[in-house]
Amino acid sequence: MIPPKFSAIEGTYMPMGHTATAEAGSGGLTATEHRLANGLRVVLSEDHLTPVAAVCLWYDVGSRHEVKGRTGLAHLFEHLMFQGSAQVKGNGHFELVQGAGGSLNGTTSFERTNYFETMPAHQLELALWLEADRMGSLLAALDDESMENQRDVVKNERRQRYDNVPYGTAFEKLTALAYPEGHPYHHTPIGSMADLDAATLEDARAFFRTYYAPNNAVLSVVGDIDPEQTLAWIEKYFGSIASHDGKPAPRDGSLPEVMGEQVREVVEEEVPARALMAAYRLPHDGTRACDAADLALTVLGGGESSRLYNRLVRRDRTAVAAGFGLLRLAGAPSLGWLDVKTSGDVEVPVIEAAIDEELARFAEEGPTAEEMERAQAQLEREWLDRLGTVAGRADELCRYAVLFGDPQLALTAVQRVLEVTAEEVQEVAKARLRPDNRAVLVYEPTAPAADDATDENEEAAK
Amino acid sequence: MTELATMEFHPQPQAGEPRPWAFPAPERGALGNGLTVLRCDRPGQQVVAVELFLRAPLDAEPAGLDGVATIMARAFSEGTDKHSAEEFAAELERCGATLDAHADHPGVRLSLEVPASRLAKALGLVADALRAPAFADSEIERLVRNRLDEIPHELANPSRRAAKELSRELFPADSRMSRPRQGTEETVAGIDSAAVRAFYEKHVRPATATAVVVGDFTGVDLDALLDDTLGSWTGSAAEPRPVPPVTSDDTGRVVIVDRPGSVQTQLLIGRTGPDRHDSVWPAQVLGTYCLGGTLTSRLDRVLREEKGYTYGVRAFGQVLRSAPDGTGAAMLAISGSVDTPNTGPALDDLWKVLRTLAEGGLTDAERDVAVQNLVGVAPLKYETAAAVASTLADQVEQYLPDDYQATLYQRLVTTGTVEATAAVVNAFPVDRLVTVLVGDAAQIKGPVEALGIGEVTVVSAE
Repeated sequence: MIPPKFSAIEGTYMPMGHTATAEAGSGGLTATEHRLANGLRVVLSEDHLTPVAAVCLWYDVGSRHEVKGRTGLAHLFEHLMFQGSAQVKGNGHFELVQGAGGSLNGTTSFERTNYFETMPAHQLELALWLEADRMGSLLAALDDESMENQRDVVKNERRQRYDNVPYGTAFEKLTALAYPEGHPYHHTPIGSMADLDAATLEDARAFFRTYYAPNNAVLSVVGDIDPEQTLAWIEKYFGSIASHDGKPAPRDGSLPEVMGEQVREVVEEEVPARALMAAYRLPHDGTRACDAADLALTVLGGGESSRLYNRLVRRDRTAVAAGFGLLRLAGAPSLGWLDVKTSGDVEVPVIEAAIDEELARFAEEGPTAEEMERAQAQLEREWLDRLGTVAGRADELCRYAVLFGDPQLALTAVQRVLEVTAEEVQEVAKARLRPDNRAVLVYEPTAPAADDATDENEEAAK
Repeated sequence: MTELATMEFHPQPQAGEPRPWAFPAPERGALGNGLTVLRCDRPGQQVVAVELFLRAPLDAEPAGLDGVATIMARAFSEGTDKHSAEEFAAELERCGATLDAHADHPGVRLSLEVPASRLAKALGLVADALRAPAFADSEIERLVRNRLDEIPHELANPSRRAAKELSRELFPADSRMSRPRQGTEETVAGIDSAAVRAFYEKHVRPATATAVVVGDFTGVDLDALLDDTLGSWTGSAAEPRPVPPVTSDDTGRVVIVDRPGSVQTQLLIGRTGPDRHDSVWPAQVLGTYCLGGTLTSRLDRVLREEKGYTYGVRAFGQVLRSAPDGTGAAMLAISGSVDTPNTGPALDDLWKVLRTLAEGGLTDAERDVAVQNLVGVAPLKYETAAAVASTLADQVEQYLPDDYQATLYQRLVTTGTVEATAAVVNAFPVDRLVTVLVGDAAQIKGPVEALGIGEVTVVSAE
């Protein structure tokens, strides 16, 4: 299962591509860092292969900053950022960028909110002007009408992605199991319907005043740019926006290294097949152990030569699909996501026993040299993809700047993955990929929903 | 109630000087075995993309064996005369490569992406797969079972279910297009290795195949590499295969696929129309974008940004199958999902948008912004080798000249408002649209009937 992202609009072109191996892997790519007097951090990276430029702005705020009763506010607020600011009317942000031949979107996760435009290079200045206008003057335009409208849009986003598709709420349920009640990562960025209904215009205003400040953001510009000119534009448009220090420290996300017991929920729902999903508690993003965990999950459940795929899909033929994914998190333990959909009438315990056996064997033996080679080649390629487009590189530079304080780490990330040893992979598997370190979600299909069942739920919701 | 911002404001900046960009022109050639090759050197793109198109169309599948082309496409990565299925997957992943294969109406496509340094090895594997696929009984059996397990998942997904129903409604029952591309439970169950091999032997050969190779070829002897890999594949000469005409019934009507308890209704409203061979295509692209290409297009301006009924509704044209003589067709459609209680009002507004468009036409400003976006995003859209290779392969698949995409941009620039209006109004006539709604019939049937957009029938979701 790939944890979903929450975007302003669906279907916006977010290129993911490739770059030169030599460049991406080492110092061939460069980035320079700057800081305005108001605290805005700026990262620039030149690349003249194509006449395009990517602008990416990360605000250090995500759903982990939300408070009880206001889940979903960070994401709802992200939508409001597209509803105009002092000099930009209505949907002007979209109209101007798209009319200039650019592409744009914004997304919200647990740890950050990002906004990005990819522009033909000669339209770069427009994107900077637009981002500065909303960073400095959103509240001049924010009104009840946008709030009510985007509340409805976001509720429909939630219905479309979660509530109206089979297994749609698995991510939400498993996250809630993996992080205890009250933990900042216990709820997902989409939030609950009740909280979305409860959010007020004043909540949105307060959110902006608290978190949307130049000293709580990183701006990266990547592509066919003149760095000096770009920096001058950034100074011109962003330089006069006041910084402020009212941001409360996020709630502590630290947890013991392992859960200590298995948490489990069985969902009886109208789904097409039984499913076994699990979330393992793994090391924080930015650590070498996290890279080792990434390799372990790739050997076990990435691609069609992985141990779980070979065992469950090819040999036992008990599953339609089986795989592992990694949700990297910096402010709380990362999660290793297991997702298996059963084949035919196969029962979940059969699958679970096979998985436990494979994980135990892996912890005992560690990866083979060939498995390490394959996993590293796959992760290397994924990194090349991420760094290979101007938009992908701009996003990674912001990520490392916001979460780890150093954008340069983005350019050397692939090297670090390649340096991890088989022993380190085995070590993390032994310590973390254990039954007492996971939250488990089991789906058992029911017959099509009867009408009275629906009514009961509606009653309960009132 | 608004709030004054304190930042220093500047007027909206003007665009700089555009830097030239053109859609890349491929070099066309052929190998000794008759395989057509399109190559395109893209400096800096060290991850090479290879698209292989096999002209083995779905209408060539034997009666009662719908899905055999899909099973064959998947079986290409399940072993050869040199490697078992598990070994083949492992070897590919060792290259850091990904290989996708799927069958559609025009034929089968294999998409390989691999770092340039490992192109020779990965392409060697793919060449083995085409030259000497194992099609082992047990692997085909597994793929068939796996495919049967996938079908319930597809039927449970509202958008997949809608697409299936629209095809069944639009096309005559004896047309391959009326039936699911990947087969039904009934037809897939009848596929075995003999059927797969027979389809392969009859329809797959180098003389009717094309390889598109895009990436940075610095230091790569592409001629030798292609000769050593794909050049070793042999087969009989090409036999031209007639392309059956596409007919459809677009009498205005509504089909509700009943999905009790749905919190949203999935809409898919469509008919067939001209493909890229028709001179109207650029105007149709332009007009369709103005209708529903993005958040600021006519549909979302009302349905999302004014009413909040949806996360987004899109209009699009997608080629189904083309023919050398221009008798092919595209699917023209509007899709999205709206919340259940607002299904009637949303469709009412959607039809109003279409009527208003037919009565008043597009504005020059709308046309201008659309052209600027469609033409302006090209350099970003084609930043990666994979994107370029995919479009070049589409052109081959659709019997279009290699410079089609390049000239399309020139034609878009010279397409006027009147032409774009006529094209989109002809593409979406209010009384010739087949509407499929996947949702809770008990709640939506009455309101939809009241709209008078065609006879309403209800079918079960199965």
